[in-house]
This record gives sequence, structure tokens and C-alpha cells, in this order.
Amino acid sequence: MSVPVEDPKARNKGFIEEVLKVYPEKTAKKRAKHLGTFEDGKADCGVKSNIKSIPGVMTIRGCAYAGSKGVVWGPIKDMIHISHGPVGCGQYSWASRRNYYIGTTGVDTFGTMQFTSDFQEKDIVFGGDKKLEKIIDEIQELFPLNKGISVQSECPIGLIGDDIEAVSKKKSKEYEGKTIVPVRCEGFRGVSQSLGHHIANDAIRDWVFDKSDGTRHPFEPSPYDVAIIGDYNIGGDAWSSRILLEEMGLRVIAQWSGDGTIAELENTPKAKLNVLHCYRSMNYISRHMEEKYGIPWVEYNFFGPSKIEASLREIASHFDDAIKENAEKVIAKYRPMMDAVIAKYRPRLEGKKVMLFVGGLRPRHVIGAYEDLGMEIVGTGYEFGHNDDYQRTTHYVKDGTLIYDDVTGYEFERFVDMVKPDLVGSGIKEKYVFQKMGVPFRQMHSWDYSGPYHGYDGFAIFARDMDMAINSPVWNLTKAPWAA
Amino acid sequence: MAALRQIAFYGKGGIGKSTTSQNTLAALAEMGQKILIVGCDPKADSTRLILHAKAQDTVLSLAAEAGSVEDLELEDVLKIGFRDIRCVESGGPEPGVGCAGRGVITSINFLEENGAYDGVDYVSYDVLGDVVCGGFAMPIRENKAQEIYIVMSGEMMAMYAANNISKGILKYANSGGVRLGGLICNERQTDKEYELAEALAHKLGTKLIHFVPRDNVVQHAELRRMTVIEYDPESKQAQEYRTLAQKIHANAGNGTIPTPITMDELEDLLMEFGIMKKEDESIIGKTATEAVA
Amino acid sequence: MPQNAEKVIDHELLFREPEYTSMFAKKKSEFEFKPSDAKIAEINEWTKTAEYREKNFKREALTVNPAKACQPLGAVFAANGFKGTLPFVHGSQGCVAYYRSHFSRHFKEPTSCVSSSMTEDAAVFGGLNNMIDGLANTYNLYKPEMIAVSTTCMAEVIGDDLDAFIKTSKQKGSIPEDFDVPFAHTPAFVGSHITGYDNALKGIVQHFWTKEGERKPVPGKINFIGGFDGFVVGNMPVIRRMFDQMGVDYTVLCDPSDAWNTPTDGEFRMYDGGTTKEETMQALHASATIVFQEYSAEKTAKYIGEQGQEVVALNHPVGVTGTDRFLMEVSRLTGKPIPEALTKERGRLVDAIADSQAHLHGKKFALYGDPDLMLGLTGFLLELGAEPVTVLSTNGNDGWAAKVQALFDASPFGKGCKVYPKKDLWHLRSLLFTDPVDFLIGNTYGKYLERDCGVPLIRLGFPVFDRHHHHRFPIWGYEGSLRVLVTLLDEIFEAIDASTIVTAKTDISYDIIR
Repeated sequence: MSVPVEDPKARNKGFIEEVLKVYPEKTAKKRAKHLGTFEDGKADCGVKSNIKSIPGVMTIRGCAYAGSKGVVWGPIKDMIHISHGPVGCGQYSWASRRNYYIGTTGVDTFGTMQFTSDFQEKDIVFGGDKKLEKIIDEIQELFPLNKGISVQSECPIGLIGDDIEAVSKKKSKEYEGKTIVPVRCEGFRGVSQSLGHHIANDAIRDWVFDKSDGTRHPFEPSPYDVAIIGDYNIGGDAWSSRILLEEMGLRVIAQWSGDGTIAELENTPKAKLNVLHCYRSMNYISRHMEEKYGIPWVEYNFFGPSKIEASLREIASHFDDAIKENAEKVIAKYRPMMDAVIAKYRPRLEGKKVMLFVGGLRPRHVIGAYEDLGMEIVGTGYEFGHNDDYQRTTHYVKDGTLIYDDVTGYEFERFVDMVKPDLVGSGIKEKYVFQKMGVPFRQMHSWDYSGPYHGYDGFAIFARDMDMAINSPVWNLTKAPWAA
Repeated sequence: MAALRQIAFYGKGGIGKSTTSQNTLAALAEMGQKILIVGCDPKADSTRLILHAKAQDTVLSLAAEAGSVEDLELEDVLKIGFRDIRCVESGGPEPGVGCAGRGVITSINFLEENGAYDGVDYVSYDVLGDVVCGGFAMPIRENKAQEIYIVMSGEMMAMYAANNISKGILKYANSGGVRLGGLICNERQTDKEYELAEALAHKLGTKLIHFVPRDNVVQHAELRRMTVIEYDPESKQAQEYRTLAQKIHANAGNGTIPTPITMDELEDLLMEFGIMKKEDESIIGKTATEAVA
Repeated sequence: MPQNAEKVIDHELLFREPEYTSMFAKKKSEFEFKPSDAKIAEINEWTKTAEYREKNFKREALTVNPAKACQPLGAVFAANGFKGTLPFVHGSQGCVAYYRSHFSRHFKEPTSCVSSSMTEDAAVFGGLNNMIDGLANTYNLYKPEMIAVSTTCMAEVIGDDLDAFIKTSKQKGSIPEDFDVPFAHTPAFVGSHITGYDNALKGIVQHFWTKEGERKPVPGKINFIGGFDGFVVGNMPVIRRMFDQMGVDYTVLCDPSDAWNTPTDGEFRMYDGGTTKEETMQALHASATIVFQEYSAEKTAKYIGEQGQEVVALNHPVGVTGTDRFLMEVSRLTGKPIPEALTKERGRLVDAIADSQAHLHGKKFALYGDPDLMLGLTGFLLELGAEPVTVLSTNGNDGWAAKVQALFDASPFGKGCKVYPKKDLWHLRSLLFTDPVDFLIGNTYGKYLERDCGVPLIRLGFPVFDRHHHHRFPIWGYEGSLRVLVTLLDEIFEAIDASTIVTAKTDISYDIIR
């Protein structure tokens, strides 16, 4: 049964008024600009974004360090990423993002390790540059197969004025031009993870591209070379994407940055096309490569068969007929499996309502996958999106969708309570809040320790997981039979 | 036992703040007061005249050696000088690195936790020129110094700094107990210096607690790394510091919440006393040649 | 085609399918420019040598895989142990996102905590306005009974003054004058999460005791402080039961065991349980305070002692003698005898140990974790006739090491055992290669050592992310010690079964009775 269009809009207006009631006036005024309803034909979603979070409201956002170390740099597997500052940041982000990779950890790969300078009071007072030099020496001695080092700044580094750039240059010279990258991603910079992505992108530009003459890792280019940009291989996402690109005859020369290596980064300027999944976190470097090396880039979406098919065709359109034909073959090959998945799960999920609140590309990108299963997105929002994200979202959402930017803990709880969706997709901090309320939930950052969700192989898992969450018998048990 | 009095000396760098504070505290010690000096300047020269030597073992340098401040004992950092004055230097990094302000916080926390304040009548903090960050405001936080004495002179920058420090005090005075004890003017022999200092004190809602005249005996004592009180106790200058000490001793509880003034008001004040001239406006931004032309 | 609609294949099997393995091989050979497999194997072997260990232990600056977190995490834990209390961390917001995630991954529960969201401008001008607005929003939105403030390292480096900021916020009307806002400075670059627990708890206790005023000692009334504890949900009910059985007049200062143990019944409880303000104030009048984990409450203990109470600081006393000592101290402080029921419970634990001692005798263990937990488990292992060959703590100092050494020295099973203060899990990796043990005790991160060194991991620590609900069961008291015993035995029997499971080869010892 479909609800008339006017109704959800009026209803949303009421919901928004309701949540704003409790705020102090000044805060209510600010928050009101981040809450709205999408209206067909509008160029964006009608909400403000990428603005400082308000103190004390329980924002879900993280920081620039999380965006750089946690998202962009952390997954580059043959480098050592130093969490430079006190112990906590590196500890809490240690191996928790599920960026899968293959390698001998501690020997030639270092992804699930926590390297920290473990700043003590004396390092704050006297500065940490000498310690950093020593750390780099010790890394070189104990981890001789590392292919590079990045210095991920935590808050104090910028506050005490350490010169990590000078240390990096000096040590790089001492170790024969070794890649050593200082990253100024102190947590207080910017308003969310987002600036961390940008800073991390710029650091790759300045300290990897600009320091590499492209000859260190020689290879024969081909006309079908592409690079996967903005896939962090969570639960293996980049792999279940790569397999499709290769099946259609393309050669993936680099993965940014899930299961990625420094050699892949350095060789990316030789690609013919950059295919960009997470626009938010890696559009910067894609634009740079377009300007400097003339590499075009194309956004794609590998969630759910509808979007996968469209994306495969879009990517193929940048190549010759052979590739275009291959794309059709790939689509045809997987269609029976997709049909079977949908036939199995759609009847169990048809008409179910979903509310999302995620980061990066997901608040829009996953919508198609839900719709392939007959589900409906009734609310969505970005943790750290910008206006260009909300513009891109208009192609995905339906008229009347509730939109909430940088939602606060309070608003999210109230919205879910009033909208009563059948499923909420968000993060670990939100998961148990909604499950306590008896609302089925899936973590849409870590895939709730499942995945991959990208590609055809991933969609089968996605469909199964959503069914599992919504149709679990546990949700029938939340009320005691004797309770009123 | 009388309640512990905590005071602090602030002032622009080079104003003679450490000299003034040490001489005054030496005079207080003469009066039988038990004193602890906490030097909060990374240069660690706040106790030099009391100890006859620059303190080498600062809290922070020893903590850095030992690993952390928890590994230190009070005896390691506490030195006894003239008339049993207890001296501690916080120390800190070389200029341009690290965070000296954090160092001040670390040191004061360490001293409090390890009982350095037990059995003394006075704790005096000697603090770097300007309140540049939260760390240097540590001595004026709640339960630290009750009165701040600003050492200044009739020079424009010294008065500017005094006004700034008052702003810092005001920030904490409303919520905490810190008060401005008064201004101490170190004579530089500028025009109408005494009157100007009086006027500024009035504007800031405080008083000029003492006007310390210039005397070469101070330099002679300094060369010997001594206070005047110790070097030449009979000198007229020693008597000046004794007077200042008595005034401070009698000033307990008489501090005020300062009323810092705007830049414009400060300039007006300077103009009033002819330090800055109205027509000066026209020469702003002009080179020497332009001025001649 | 690797995937299958009928039986959906998950990641652990999907990527073993030939389509993927050949893709991985190609990626590696064409684009990754890795060192040769021989070189990787060579270096891998080298990391297992005594020579590598020596270099590894010479590290002065680099920390690799530490077993500690930072102060504010402990402060959030402490705040969560008080009724209706919302932790408020003054500083960068990303930190709070991390603490909340960290606790939620361990307890599988929501963890509410707010930040003052300081950004670059606050770094320059100080975070006073963030505090003023933040407290007002928190107060209006989440209706707490109390807001407990702590700090991130950002606020500490710039020197923000919580006391003044909170007072100013009240003057500006962001929260009522009489609203309780205890606070603690919790710099991340000093100590670890247990230090933060201590500072925050002291801040709360001091706030209410100052308010309460004069102490009027009540004989026999005691306080209990548990310390930072990943098993708090299981442990606190055991402590309360034992006190109740003894008829003790007690207050648990800081009890988050309900906050992290709420039901799924259709309602989200942002706050549940915890020590009330009234209980906290009345705790001033207790005759004594028992601190279960000394290193978690050093400053709090000192403060309480200064108020005139006797403070008994223990080091996570578990096992038979540990629990005996705990109960005898309670009995001494309260004058209440230890009841028959507890004596019987003790006897049952001894019975269980006697039944199983043959399997524990001489088994070699390596263990790492917070300093008090290490002391408690070391004592228990020695009591079981096991050998705690390697005991390591990243946040344990030299004084702690001396205490562990004293335990070794007091038992024949401690001979040759070694303690390692201020060391990390990369040090431990070297130790596990050069001084092999049968089992490893630690937290979830120990699984990387299990993989690299082939030592089975027993999860007794914080955090445990990869096993569900362990935290719901106690490890304290005779009851908890029994659970620890069973956990150890399960792993021991699993190991025997695993090594005897090959048909016609090792399965002669694949016994059904052990």
C-alpha cells in the first residue's frame, strides 16, 4: 500500500517540529537547517551540511584523524602508519574497520597492527620530533620489509607545533628516498572525518605522486587499465568489485586503498580511467589526477543488481566495443543468480521500510540495493556529507523522504520512534539503541562483520543479511506475554 | 597556623619581574615567613638570586630524564636557598618547540600532589611575560594564587602587557577567587612614570602598591647572583623591597577584580600624559624620508 | 560462479573460491611489487629469533600493539557507574565517537556520551563557549541527573580550566546553579584508561563529599570501589550478593553493571542503575573503603584516606586465597562473620580445583593486561599449580612488577617466571617465540599472537570484541573464580582434543573421559 505523497511531507514536518521542541532556542535554530524532506525536482535535499556539530548533542561524527588514518591511509597494507600522539586514537581504531588484505602481518604487511608514538607528558612539553625520528629508525630496524611510513597526526601535534614535515624529509633522505608521509590530520581540524579524507588525499598528491617519477615499480601499460578509487575493501568489497571489472576485460592496476600497496598508488597515474566508488572520500585525488595526468574518472555504484548493471555499462562506455560486449556478457552471466536471490528474499522483504544514517557514499548508494529487494527508504542522512552529496542523492530518493544531516542521538531515536521503520541501517554506536527498542538493525559501516556487499557476490550476502535482521524470530520475543 | 597565601608575579619579559619578586620574597623571609617559590618560566631563572645559581634540576627536565613526572620525588626538585626559601623551577622546552604551557600545568600538579605546599606560609608563582595560553594561566586558576601582582613600568609595552594580564585575571576572577593585588612599578625613568602608573592602576580598578626606584645596587647584587636584601641589607634599595614586602603582607584579601581597558582607552591615557601625541596619527605608516618631506 | 543464491557463501569461504584466489595471485604478481616469498619467509623466521627479541626489547620510542587505552575512556566508564549520569568529554568530538564504539563493541550495549565538539577555533581561543553551549544542550536534550566532565588531550594541551568553565557556564545560565557537574582533567598523555577511571571517580566523590560537609563515621559501614573492569556486568552482582550474605551495610561507588546490561524489551534506557547521589554523599560517613583494584584508584584511595576512612587497597583478589583475603578484610572492617553459605561456596571451588588439578599442574601461561588483573590472575594460576611464565602489562610500572615478582617468589610454581612492566604485545610476540608457553591469557588483540605464535588464547581482559557475552559472567568471588577455572579447563581440553583428532594416527588418545 503506498502512502499519498502529501502525507509523508506533512508528517515529516510534524516530526521535525517535534524533535526541535526540546532544544534550547539557539540550538533548535541551527538544527532546523539540517532537517528536512526531499521534494521532487529540487537540486538538493534542502538541508545544510558540512557545518560544525553542536557541542553536547551527541553527534555521531568522528574526526579528521579517523578520516585519514582510519579510512584513507590505514588500509594501505605494505606501509606502516604511525598514530602520532597519545595512545588512544590508534587503539580505538585498531583493526576495527575490517579492511581486508592479504599478506604476512608484521612482516610484509601491517594492516591490523597499531603503531603509536604513545605520547607522554614530556613529549608534549618538549616536543615529539626527536621521538618521531627514533621511531622511524626503530621501524626500519624491526620491520625491514615495510615499503613506506605515514605519520598520522593526533590533536597535540598541531597544538605543540611539531615539525613532522621536516622529520619526514630528513628521514626519507637518510633512507634513500623512502616514502615517508607526514599527514596533518589532527582531530580538531574541520568538522568531521571529511576534512581528514581531503588532507589524506592531498598528502598522497604531495608526498607520493610528487615524489615519485613513476619508475620505481615499472610495468607495461595496457589500453584497459583502470584503478578502483574509494573502495576500502570492507569485508572484501573491493575484491567482489574487482572481479567484475576484470571479467569484463579491464585490468585493475590499483586499489585505493583497501588491500592497496604503495606500488599501486604510485602507478595509478598510468591508468586510462579511474572508477570512483566513494566520491566523498576520494573525489579530491580523482580530480587531481584528471587535471594533472588527464585521467578521466567515473562514479559507479556496485550495490544491488540494478545499479551494478547501470554502472558496468557506464564504465564500459569509456572503452571500445569489445569491453561493451563483455559488460553485457557479465550482466547476463550473473542475472540468473541475481534473479534467484531476489526470488528468494524479495517476498520476505517487500514493502519493508528502512531508515539509514551512514557516512561516505552509503546514504544514497545502498538505496538501489534495498529497492531491488522491494524495500523502501523512508529516511536517510549523511554523517559528514557535503552539499554535492545531497545533490547526488536526489537521483536516489523518493519524494517525501525524511532527510537528517549530522543527526544527533536524540533526533535519531525520536525519528525512529515516530516513523517506525522495519529496519535501521547505521553504525555501532546506534545499533544497540534501536535493537533495545525492538527495531531490527544492520551496521552499514562494517556490514555488521559480514560482507562483502559490493558486486553480485556481495548482493547475495546483503539480501540474506537484511532478511536475517528483519525476520529474526527474536523480534517477536521483546514483549513478555504477561506484560500489559 | 595561618592560611596558606598564594601569590603570583606576572609582567612583561625583561621588566625586572624575577628580580623584584625574589627581592620581595627575600624580605618576606626576613619577616619570618616560610616561602616556596615556583618558577613558571621555561628559562628557569626565577630562583637564581635566592639559590646563587641557576637551578639545573627543573621539574620537567628531571621528569623527561626519569620517564614521567610520577617517577620524581619532591626532594629531587626542591632546593633550599637564602633564609630557607624553598625553590622549585618548572623549566620547560627550548624556545620554539613543545608546549611550555602544558609544562606549567604538569609541574604545579606534581608539586601539589607531593605536598610541596605543606608547612609554608607563602607560595609565589613567577610567571612568563604574558598569558599566552591556558597553561600560563594555571597559577590563576581556582585554589591557586589569590592575588596577582603585576610588575610594570612607565613604558608603553609594559603597560599594554599589564592591561592584558588584567584581562586574563578577569576571565578567572568571576568564577574563581583570583584577584588583582596591585601594580608594582619598576622605575625606568620615563616621563611622569609614577603618575602614569597611578593612573593605570586606577583605570584597572587596583592600586599602585609600590613604586620601586631605580638603583645600581640591584645590578651589583645580580652580578653576584644575590638579592639586594642579602648582598647589601643596609642599602636604601633593600629598604624599598622591605616596604613592598610589608605592603604585600598587609594586602591579604584586599585584591580586586580588575577592570581592563580597551586599546583606545590605553592610548588616551598615554596621550593624557604626553607619552603619545595626538598628532602622532599623521605619522603612522610613514617612513623617515616621507616624514621629512 | 563462486556465489550461490541457495546457500549464500560468506567472506571466510567466498574468497577461497578459485575465481578469487587466482585474482589475488595476479594482483600480487603484477601490481603489488612485494618482496619475494622467500624473503618474506626469511624475515618472518628472523622475527622469531633471540636476536630479533634483543633488538625488539631495545626499542625506546616506538610502541607496537599496546595493551592500554587512554584516560578519558576510563573516565567515561566511571561516569557510567553513577545513576542518571551522562559523561561529557570536553575536547575533540572524534574521541567520544571512539569511546562509544569501543565500549559498544565490548559490551554489545549502547554507550551514551557527549562531546563539546571543539574545533580549530576552540584550539586557538579556548573551549569555554563549547562548554557553555554543550552543557546547555546536554541538559535539555538528555535530561541527566548529573553531567560528569572529563577532557581529551586537545583541551589539556591548550590548558582549558574545567572548574572555571563549569562555574562560568552556570553563571551564564546554561545549567542551573545547583546542578551537579563533577569534573576531572584526564590528559591522554599521562597514564592509561585506569588513570582516567581514577581521576574521574575522585572528581565525583570529591564533588559530593565536599557538598556533604562534615564526616560522621558510621561503624561497620563500608564502601566498595571495583576499578576499571571489562567484566563489571558479571562481577558486581557477585560482590553485592556476597555483601548481602554477610549482612554488610555497603555502598558500591561506581556501578555501571546495569547501564551496560539493559534488556531488549522495546525501550531504550539511556540510563539504568548506578550509584545514586545520595548514596555517594552518605559514603563519606563509611568507616572504610575497599578498593578491589589498587592501580585503578590510587588518587581516589588517597583522597578517601585523607577524609579519615581506612582504605584497604587490593589487587584484584580472585581464586581461593584471593577471595578469602577479600572476605576476611570485609569481615574485619564490618565486624560481620563470614556466613556458612560462603564457606560452603568456597569449599565447592576447592572441590572443583581438586577435581581438575592434574590438568592444570605445570601448565605454562603467558598473560597480559591491566596491572591489577595480572596480579589477581597470577595469584590464582600459582594456586592452581600452573606456571605464569610471562606476565606483561603495558600500563604496569616498576612497583607493580615488584609485586608480581613477590608472588612468584612466594610459590614454587613461580620459579623462573618473569614479569615485564611497560611492554607491549610486540614484545610479547618475541617472548612467546623464545620462551614458549602452553596458553595465552589476554584480550581480543591476543588473537594475532595466537595466529603468529600458535598459542591458544584465553580471553580474560578488556576489550573482548570477538566473543559474545563473556562480560556477562563474573570472574570475581568464588563464583567468578569457578568460571575462570572452567574457562581455563575448556581451553586445555580443547587443545588435547585438537591434537588427538586425526583418525588412525593420534586418535588413540581421543578420550571420552578426561
